[in-house]
Amino acid sequence: MLNPIAGNLERYMDLLAARQKLVASNIANADTPGYKTRDIDFQFEFMSLASGAGTNLRAAVPNVINAPDLVAKNDGNNVSIDRESRLLSETALRFNLASSLLRGQIQLVRSAIKEGRTG
Amino acid sequence: MSLFSLLSVSGSGMGAQRVRAQLLVENLANAETTRTPEGGPYRRKDAVFSSQPQSSPFSAMFQAEIAGGQTGVGVADIVEDTREPVKRYMPGHPDAGPDGYVAFPRINPAEDMVDLMNATRNYQANVSAIGAVRDMIHRTLDLLR
Repeated sequence: MLNPIAGNLERYMDLLAARQKLVASNIANADTPGYKTRDIDFQFEFMSLASGAGTNLRAAVPNVINAPDLVAKNDGNNVSIDRESRLLSETALRFNLASSLLRGQIQLVRSAIKEGRTG
Repeated sequence: MSLFSLLSVSGSGMGAQRVRAQLLVENLANAETTRTPEGGPYRRKDAVFSSQPQSSPFSAMFQAEIAGGQTGVGVADIVEDTREPVKRYMPGHPDAGPDGYVAFPRINPAEDMVDLMNATRNYQANVSAIGAVRDMIHRTLDLLR
């Protein structure tokens, strides 16, 4: 019913939610010895999701990788709070943008339904 | 995939930092304690964190998704400082040894205060994470309006 843009937006939001999960667990483990920062390769995951549209949900679980190029502290932990706070707000902002766009798409369909009813 | 499970991850982070702050405050309060139930002066305590999967009632159903990401944190162990106590010459003190020296806890207030600030900042980071996730949940709910 909705156009392909809405489907892509939905997948984009799914990926953002998955990334936000990793950011939250990185922040929670900021003091855990030996913990390595985890992330997803966003570009790659989105491309593979967008190309394989309509595949089963299981495939939508993204691959978790260890974030590269981070300096480890003495206890083997390499969580950078600065990086995680930046990602936290960036992901939330992107999610807000995507949800506003998706809302526009839904409103489009809704107004079409309403016009049909009154006319 | 549920955004709600993120709240328990950040919640576990808040809980772990709170336990740590509690131990640090205990250390500061007992900086001059020479008697403990175990005998001897008080020994500095600290928490050791380890990452733990967050279980929820639905965990069995969503096991695959849990493996894909959310790891909370928990206090694995509470360790006591094994360094020798500080000896101070106080012959009149009731806990003084035969040589007139009293064993006091080896507690450095600067060390504890720095750790306490660290715990506070990390607690705040977890609170901000909860705020961001809450905002995302609200946005999703707004799609239905």
